[in-house]
Amino acid sequence: MTGKPLLSAKDISISFGGVKALVGVDLEIGEGEILCLAGENGSGKSTFVKIISGVYAPDSGEITIGGDAVHGLTPRSANAAGIQVIYQDLSLFDQLSIAENIAVSRMMHDGSKLVHRRSMREIARQQLERVGVDLPLDAPVSTLSVANRQIVAICRALSMEARLLFMDEPTTALTGREVARLLSIVLDLKKRGLSIVFISHKLDEVFKIADRITIFRDGQNVGDFSASELDELSLSRLMTGREVTYKRYHRTLTDEKPLLELTGLTRTGNYQDINLTVRPGDIVGLTGLLGSGRTEIALSLFGLIKPDSGEIRVRGEVTTIGAPWEAMQLGIALLPEDRNGQGLFGEQSVEVNVSVSMLDRIVGGIGMLNRKAEKSLARGVVNDMGVNNKNTALAVSNLSGGNQQKVVIGKWLGREPSVFILDSPTVGIDIGSKADIYDKIHRLAESGMGVIFISDEPEEIVANCNRIIVMHEGEILEKFDEVDVRQENFKDELIQIISDPSYRVRLATEEK
Amino acid sequence: MKRRSVFRRVFDRPMTLMERYLLAIIVAYVLVVTLKNPQFFRLETFFDMVRNGSGIMILALGVLVVLISGGIDVSFMAIAIVSGYSSVKLMKLLGVDNLIFALAVALIIGGILGSINAFLIHHFRLPTLIVTLGTASLFHGFMAIVLGTKTYTEVDVPHSLLAFGATNIVTITGDKSHYSLSVFLLVVIAVIVLTWFLLYRTMLGRAVFAIGSNEESASRIGINILRTKLFVYSYSGALSGLMGIIYFSGLAYINPVTLVGGELMVIAAVVIGGAKLTGGEGTILGAVLGIIIIELFDSTLVFLGLNASWESVFFGSVLLFSLCVIYYRQRQLNKRSLVFSSN
Repeated sequence: MTGKPLLSAKDISISFGGVKALVGVDLEIGEGEILCLAGENGSGKSTFVKIISGVYAPDSGEITIGGDAVHGLTPRSANAAGIQVIYQDLSLFDQLSIAENIAVSRMMHDGSKLVHRRSMREIARQQLERVGVDLPLDAPVSTLSVANRQIVAICRALSMEARLLFMDEPTTALTGREVARLLSIVLDLKKRGLSIVFISHKLDEVFKIADRITIFRDGQNVGDFSASELDELSLSRLMTGREVTYKRYHRTLTDEKPLLELTGLTRTGNYQDINLTVRPGDIVGLTGLLGSGRTEIALSLFGLIKPDSGEIRVRGEVTTIGAPWEAMQLGIALLPEDRNGQGLFGEQSVEVNVSVSMLDRIVGGIGMLNRKAEKSLARGVVNDMGVNNKNTALAVSNLSGGNQQKVVIGKWLGREPSVFILDSPTVGIDIGSKADIYDKIHRLAESGMGVIFISDEPEEIVANCNRIIVMHEGEILEKFDEVDVRQENFKDELIQIISDPSYRVRLATEEK
Repeated sequence: MKRRSVFRRVFDRPMTLMERYLLAIIVAYVLVVTLKNPQFFRLETFFDMVRNGSGIMILALGVLVVLISGGIDVSFMAIAIVSGYSSVKLMKLLGVDNLIFALAVALIIGGILGSINAFLIHHFRLPTLIVTLGTASLFHGFMAIVLGTKTYTEVDVPHSLLAFGATNIVTITGDKSHYSLSVFLLVVIAVIVLTWFLLYRTMLGRAVFAIGSNEESASRIGINILRTKLFVYSYSGALSGLMGIIYFSGLAYINPVTLVGGELMVIAAVVIGGAKLTGGEGTILGAVLGIIIIELFDSTLVFLGLNASWESVFFGSVLLFSLCVIYYRQRQLNKRSLVFSSN
């Protein structure tokens, strides 16, 4: 530890309805240090955060903040003690202005009854200045990108004179460049003496900023390490309790007839002149920063937004795809980027979520749904995908992110698509589930499916794809075939291209 | 620096699309009616509209606050009648004939009934629509049992109320008749200013927007949800009480079985004005314009020589058409930013 402990938690235990969520957890956080809390989904990280921030009262254990033992912590008293949490959903108010969102906690805390617009703007301006970001104070938060919302949430926490800041998966919805900006802000805050607990699944980020790493597994603290003691491999082993290496995918099929061909596909403002072929057994990686047009191509292939010009051929035949059901008839499936918003019906059971893409298979003679058939469909998916919860009547929102994603994938597989588009399939998913999902995708490709794999994690792209397309500002910046991908230092090259596409553009124009 | 429009300087924000759109409709409609019948474009018509519309304008402001907080209240008509009628009954019983007393009693009863709504909604986490449907019946039925439903004609209406209803700010004497601007206008303006101040200049008002935007997030930053809801519903209730007195005073006739049933029209007018049923959004100007449209249709049909059914047709068309326009634009915007969920 670099400083004296700001917060120490001793022997914290809590259980919910007989399920032990945390068992005797000890943890210390020093002044001005960044502690990364690592662990798979359901390992107890979030529960721990909720205890420290006063949302849950632990069954047993002791918490001291700044040397004083605290009892009966509530969200308010935690706030007063300088503990701030930035939740994954950011807890912002879309229709209120940026200034109001930043200043509301501070003004509420100060007990002011009236809205002092000048001091409100002043608070907001100061905090934005502190993190070095310029945002329009009067614009409603709904007009901001996710990255800038994150900034607003950070500013709000800072305005409360936070001493200890918890950040729960702050980078999940951010692109490479935005992540870099966020991490540099976090490092800057640390320099000014703030302690930060950073929760992330992305191991490369963890190593970029952590002073210390604490690993949770099954509700226990399984180790405190200084960041230099670990590397990605040992960390993932500690998190999962097993050795996890991602198998590289190599295409073995020899069928060269393309399943899907795009020629000159263009949608003004989104993507231009896209040429792309997917053969059976291909896993085509589509990567590039957010806003590079990768997601928009996927949406066009699924009939959600129309391309302006160009050609889509499915199994050699020119087609237009006007709506998702048309795409489904052509054998195209899409796993959307936003799992909760677009991929699942959160409050519905696993059964309903699985059967919804295959309702035509489970209707009986007079158009009534056959619930038994639905159940067995769901059972099949759950077993096939290795979902850990076998109770298919459970609402899908109760599953962990990884298992939810398995349900989404499984629901599409039931339709036996010939082209499967996966948009950021492992966002916010723990390492163990990631490996399972990769494995499943490999097997699908081997069986003759064509896969388009959209992601901005180079690690993931390299492990899964046999051909890779890098996009930049709506255009294809570079294509790599199987030979390129097998090059030894290909991953480094890819990282370089993704993170600095303009360099490549310059290079290409100079060559001309 | 760019010159700011008068609107911007007064309201400190650009006009919303819905407000512009409603203004355009109002101007166009007034123009059409005037062309058809020049009799319409006179102060007298305006004065009449003020007198007739004051009550529902006050209700609409209460409805707006509830909608912004993310709820739907359909009990305000019942509360208006119950508190207004109880106040009159109490005056008769005690032999007090005083306007301040009448208003105070109605406001207090309205506020209490509203806070009953708030407690039920908050403590049992019930949908606001259902709770207020229930309480509307309950309040009104209870009043009928306890106080009866005796009507009072002009001779029996307390003099203070009659005097209130007959007070005018301006009276213009014409050749044959004279017409006057009711004091109700001042009450309406006072309520508009008060509502604006509460919503935009107090932390409580900001909390109303916050819980309408996202209740969970609001409680996380330490907003007292119960207190905020108590304010929302008792404010709406108190405004209803005020409306009850204004309504009886203006009509000079007290009938405890009117009004109830007209709730949805007021809610629709506020929604036309840009308030979202999902909460967090809505403007005072929008609500005011929405009510002006209703009143305009209501009082101009005679000038056009159409029967009353046309009012429903006009109003329904404006409601549907404006909602279609707004939500279509929203969808276009969403599509551009690649959001496919509806809202």
